[in-house]
Amino acid sequence: MGKILIVDDTLFMRTLLKNILFSGGHTIAGEAADGDDAIEKYRELKPDIVTMDVVMPKMNGIDALKGIKALDPNARVIMCTAVGQEQMVKLAIKSGARGYIVKPFQAPKVLDEIKNILES
Amino acid sequence: MSDLDMYRSLYVAESRENLENIVKHLLVLEKGSDQDAIAEIFRSAHSLKGMSASMGFDDMEQICHAMEDIFQSLRSGDLHVDTEVIDLLLKAADDIEAMVDDIEAGGQGHSPNLDQRLESLRSWKAGGRQDRDRGVPIVSPTRDVSTADSRSSDWNNLGTSLYRLEIELDGKCDTKNLRGMIILQNLDSLGEIIDIVPAREVIEDGDFEGAIYLSIRSENDGDALVKAASVSEVCTVRISSPEEKSASAPREVITSRDDARDRKEAAVPASDRGREVKNIRVDITRLDQMMNLIEDLVINRGRVMQIAQKYRMKDLDETLNMIGRSVADLQNLMMNIRMIPLSHIFNRFPRTVRDLSQKMGKEIELTIEGGQTELDRSVMEGLNDPLLHLIRNAIDHGIEFPDQREKAGKPRKGLIQISAQRDRDNVIITIQDDGAGIDPDRTLNKALQRELITRDSAPGMSKEEIFDLLFQPGFSTAEKVTDVSGRGVGLDVVKTAMQAVKGSIKVESEPGTGTRFELLLPPTMAIVDVMMVRINGRRCAIPVNNIVEVASLAGTQIHSIGARETILLRDEILTLNRLDDMFEGSNGAEILVILQNQQKKMAITVDAIIGQQEVVIKPLTRIVGSCPGISGVTIPGDGQVVPVIDVNSIVMEN
Repeated sequence: MGKILIVDDTLFMRTLLKNILFSGGHTIAGEAADGDDAIEKYRELKPDIVTMDVVMPKMNGIDALKGIKALDPNARVIMCTAVGQEQMVKLAIKSGARGYIVKPFQAPKVLDEIKNILES
Repeated sequence: MSDLDMYRSLYVAESRENLENIVKHLLVLEKGSDQDAIAEIFRSAHSLKGMSASMGFDDMEQICHAMEDIFQSLRSGDLHVDTEVIDLLLKAADDIEAMVDDIEAGGQGHSPNLDQRLESLRSWKAGGRQDRDRGVPIVSPTRDVSTADSRSSDWNNLGTSLYRLEIELDGKCDTKNLRGMIILQNLDSLGEIIDIVPAREVIEDGDFEGAIYLSIRSENDGDALVKAASVSEVCTVRISSPEEKSASAPREVITSRDDARDRKEAAVPASDRGREVKNIRVDITRLDQMMNLIEDLVINRGRVMQIAQKYRMKDLDETLNMIGRSVADLQNLMMNIRMIPLSHIFNRFPRTVRDLSQKMGKEIELTIEGGQTELDRSVMEGLNDPLLHLIRNAIDHGIEFPDQREKAGKPRKGLIQISAQRDRDNVIITIQDDGAGIDPDRTLNKALQRELITRDSAPGMSKEEIFDLLFQPGFSTAEKVTDVSGRGVGLDVVKTAMQAVKGSIKVESEPGTGTRFELLLPPTMAIVDVMMVRINGRRCAIPVNNIVEVASLAGTQIHSIGARETILLRDEILTLNRLDDMFEGSNGAEILVILQNQQKKMAITVDAIIGQQEVVIKPLTRIVGSCPGISGVTIPGDGQVVPVIDVNSIVMEN
């Protein structure tokens, strides 16, 4: 089971994701509402996995991903993406994202992705 | 869907925030292209879309998606902002607001305008689009095999082996390209990929059936490579090592995708959950319930304190003291929790000003300051309409038409400034315009016409007194009724609304330069410190805020001026009101209480001062109706109902 940092600018999405992750037996290391916060929390909490929203205020998810990767090249970051954000996700993968989950989240798919990445 | 209902109120609250953000930045955008505003709207529309999709609110998702599309194009510079699209988007924002309302009420957020709105958003996008249809980037055909150079690298590197992998993605996977990219990324970190079919670029574009064939030289063992390739939505990974081909058959690893679903994990200990959650949202009705309970607690604490006084038990007194402190802390905490920043209502005004000024053909700039100033929710609720009324007034009667302004030597664009600030125990909100101002002479004439004053009293009136007439019922300065502000409703309604929240209003104006309304509000209104007094044998309460001092009537010279009595106290002449009309005043009254409301002071007489205590003021119910001079009732410790004197109205009427 993983310790997960949830990054999303809406409380709604964070809550939704948190409940999905709880249902899969994961622990929430913390939550961040923007990219700056995400990097700071990563440094502080050392989560096993980060779920990273792409579109956020201040610093977007891609830059936050890069920031986290710079801190820890082995960081496991999953992008939270919406249909139609393919270019962004490509960019994220090239920047070191390890996976992605698509909104609207489906609990089995989310847990599957997390499991796969935890096991890899 | 029903298990999603638990998210509904959260959804509604955050949707409103996002919607507000959209409207706010649309108005910024209207003044000129602004990349930050475009990015903000894109982000909010995107968040709103994502949340709506999660909740299954399809109409909302579609309209947000169309909005997001437009902003995507604006962001990339393919399209440019024009007034048409701003109008269109504002209408869409109105739709969204109605949809959120519907969702809040338990609906699915269906919009009757959906098709029409989607159509107009799309056609604007299509019409404005010029340099689109760029399609997918062209893939260079020469790079069918990646890193041709690597072929020449030494295949028999010490400690490395060459593996061949066949990876097959799930047929249902609709983002093969992304999964493919992740696989390649993972494998890249383990070794050197030599051959790959299809080419990386083709994989990135997703233009392949779902199978990837590659050769990789790696010092890791085969299991590690299989693991790296077994990302989500991969159904088969086959691996073989050419060097051991003869020795063993290709291994086939079929990754199963079902175990995760069936697995039930042990629950996380409760202490771990939500450890990092620093904010929660609570339904406002629960806060109201809690407030009521605290009010009851305050009332009953008072009652217990009175009982305790009879018995004089040290232990009981000590305990009561501690309870008293806790209750006071609880009250303060509750007060703070109920505070909301004024931006909640201020944020709507830019839109109002925009729409109305456009409708009237006026040019108006609106500035807002102090939106972070906080007020109790109950005060805030009564504030929206009065403020809106004042703003409409400023637009309709205050700010002149651009040509008129130019003639008067003013900038064509009028200015309305709204500001809020905390001043000791009050919150002051001002609404100022640089319009035509109010003409005292005209105001006076109108008051005479409407018989609000008599010809005799008119001459001596100060400007301040004349402007006070504006708040009299039946006074309306508008020459004609317009649908912007004049609905036969005057400033008296604003004044009444302000009084209902225990606030007050005053106006300053200079003909030709503008008008300034100042609203003085208590930040909270539920629990008030009062002085309990006895007037003609009856108990009543006076808010301590309004008491300047208490003095003895004995030895104070009472002067009669006409029908009125006055006293001279510290060189100040004060009207003395024995409250005869309210309490059939008694002659035994020995004590003077000096009251103050804003700058006005007056004295009343009471029989005795009983004490000071915190009480909850309950408004008079509709059954009793409004009662001049009484702002409400309170129930102190002994359970009797005690009227609370409405100092504002008593002082002002004098």
